[in-house]
Amino acid sequence: MSETGSGTAAQPGDSGQVLRRGREAALAQTFVRLADTLASDFDIVDFLHSLSADSVEILGAEAAGVMLADARGGLRLIASSDERMRLLELFELQGAQGPCLDAFSTGRPLQANAADSRTRWPDFAPRASDSGFQRMCAVPLRVRADVIGAMNLFRASDEPFTADEMDIAQAMAEMAAIGLIQERALRERSLLTEQLQAALNSRVIIEQAKGMLAEYLKITMGDAFQLLRNYARNHNRKLSDVARDVVDRKIPNAALTLRPGGQS
Amino acid sequence: MRNDGRRARIMAAVTERDIPAGAGELIAELCRFAVNEMALSGCAFVLMSEREPGGMLAGAGRHASTVTRLQMELGEGPCLQAYSSGVPVFLPDLASETANRWPTFAAAALAAGVHAEFSLPLTVGAGGIGTLDLCRDKPGMLSEEHLADALVTADIARDAVLYQQYAPGGQSLADLLDTGGTDRIVIHQATGMIAAQLNDTTSNAFARLRAAAFVSGRPMYDIAQDVVERRVRFDE
Repeated sequence: MSETGSGTAAQPGDSGQVLRRGREAALAQTFVRLADTLASDFDIVDFLHSLSADSVEILGAEAAGVMLADARGGLRLIASSDERMRLLELFELQGAQGPCLDAFSTGRPLQANAADSRTRWPDFAPRASDSGFQRMCAVPLRVRADVIGAMNLFRASDEPFTADEMDIAQAMAEMAAIGLIQERALRERSLLTEQLQAALNSRVIIEQAKGMLAEYLKITMGDAFQLLRNYARNHNRKLSDVARDVVDRKIPNAALTLRPGGQS
Repeated sequence: MRNDGRRARIMAAVTERDIPAGAGELIAELCRFAVNEMALSGCAFVLMSEREPGGMLAGAGRHASTVTRLQMELGEGPCLQAYSSGVPVFLPDLASETANRWPTFAAAALAAGVHAEFSLPLTVGAGGIGTLDLCRDKPGMLSEEHLADALVTADIARDAVLYQQYAPGGQSLADLLDTGGTDRIVIHQATGMIAAQLNDTTSNAFARLRAAAFVSGRPMYDIAQDVVERRVRFDE
């Protein structure tokens, strides 16, 4: 298993150039959007969902997710590039075993192919391969000396993540960490822990709200998530505040009905 | 998941001498466990609701009721914040807190000899039932190990209250509590669906899901999947 990028050169010739320029543009766009988000009163789950989706696009992966340390011990999923249950469970599994847990506990980036992962994570590897993933990498989320979680990317092909790609993944992880931690928390461990637990609790409330909407409106969990996000955007509110209001029944269901075309 | 071992260890510690019959006795044992294990001067389980002021259901240590009483009198403090936000509040040094979030509470607690206060919400996502309050007569943050134990202790205490109302007749509460593994996405989604089906709170829906799992002898995760995949409803 190679620890960081394998050092494989980027694709040769013109197609590599085009690919790289496209990636640079996408990366630049992402950083501009991140800076805008960080300047406003943003929602952390929403932010990390976008960040995961951007990482997938920029790094040519199929799926990405961010996991955070729970003060009870272990890692929990906070956000991912898409909401398919199978993918969510693949992240959840890593609370016990997998690339995220290793990147978190060693504080070092890593990547693995299917064969590596079978040796290293016997329970996790078959589930990853059943989901169609051959290649995976994970990078730690750091706040100064503390590792607070990890970010994970999956590829369907066995193509290694290059050293450049590993660096970009690490940069995305740094962004995630910046988004998670307010400045004041850097000084005190107790505040840092409070903020991480708050983020994890938001995720639980969002799942409960998805369940409620799925039941009331007879829609899928994925549509329920999209509906919450659209409603939050259209009303200029935080995703987790909207989710909490749904759970507390402060938003009438009629206001949340999906219109044709998938917009709320 | 890694929490399960911790949960089992704490359950074993509090049921060591004899199995507590009801939630009140079990929670009193949990408070005693916390005081001894984490070098606390007080631990209190405080039930709260939107309508009534909070009340201490059980406690241990000489400062057990001090912090609760102060917050109810003052109408401010970490436990009210933890309850309404669903997020733990850690005040490792109340002397430095006098200038921060709750100056009046901090000054009063210091005068009563409390130097550190940790308030843990009793909630699953939204809609909590109260807090577990831990305090010390010396300043200092809980160690990572103590913090993990404290959070899992609060989870068990929360479950004891929630599960008791739906416990199948003749079953020991300790048996009902003895399984962990509730922190799964599908369980939270199913909880939301059941709350919608029953027009009830998510806390009660969570407890109903646990009771159904216990009665059928299946893992909570399996029942939750049946709910999410619409094979099982709770309003029929």
